[in-house]
Amino acid sequence: MFTTVFSGFGFWNVSAWLAFFCIASFYALWIRSKGRKDYKKGTEQDEIFWSGNPVPEDGEEITVPASAAYWGYKKAFAPFYKALVAFHSGVTTDYAGWFIVVSAVICALAVII
Amino acid sequence: MKLEKYLEILPKSLWVTTCNSGSCNGCDIEIVATISPRYDIERFGMKLVGTPRHADVLVVTGPVTTYMKDRLLRIYHQIPDPKVVVVVGNCGASGDVFYRSYSLEGPVDRIIPVDVYVHGCPPRPEAIIEGVAKAVLKLEGKRKELICAAQGETE
Repeated sequence: MFTTVFSGFGFWNVSAWLAFFCIASFYALWIRSKGRKDYKKGTEQDEIFWSGNPVPEDGEEITVPASAAYWGYKKAFAPFYKALVAFHSGVTTDYAGWFIVVSAVICALAVII
Repeated sequence: MKLEKYLEILPKSLWVTTCNSGSCNGCDIEIVATISPRYDIERFGMKLVGTPRHADVLVVTGPVTTYMKDRLLRIYHQIPDPKVVVVVGNCGASGDVFYRSYSLEGPVDRIIPVDVYVHGCPPRPEAIIEGVAKAVLKLEGKRKELICAAQGETE
């Protein structure tokens, strides 16, 4: 279970990984301990910096989310997406109907071709 | 201790954050020139940081408009103690041509305590460097006061 794995480029085993984890944790905690402790908790020094503005409860209107990078992509595909959404009525008989119709079309195409 | 002695080996690299409280941007351009390779204030370990929570020095430009008063106060309060405030430019120091304008709450020392004034419209980068260097003395003085106060509390 705790054997050493040789990959051809190096090796991996549990004890080496644990040793690395301990050493890395020590240095991470040491660097963290050097951070500032002189700020006052519970005051404005403890709050998020929002360019000097009060931190909004809902920042949606004044932030640009990462999903905005896909704006053009989503805009271009919106007609197809809306059509697909319209198909999803949530009624099981609709889904069964679509399944039968599509199966029939595929079968017909298979016979013709 | 003399300023020159402090600048030989800084006790701490000064991290600086800026607040444009209604400036025309002239002073801000000079601040950018100060950190550019020609003047290169980072050789002293001083650098601009993006948040007041990491800063020791607040550099304020502009005469403090009504809109910016609360923001300036919030930024000032978000800087951990000890901290110093450097006003860059005539507008922040006195209001300059905007003095007693209807839209002003400033100059800066009406809103927050100011430690160093750097005059000019805009001041040259050499003057800004000198202003920040003078802030070192003030900062170390305040740091000693805080340390003494903390030791007094523990005794």
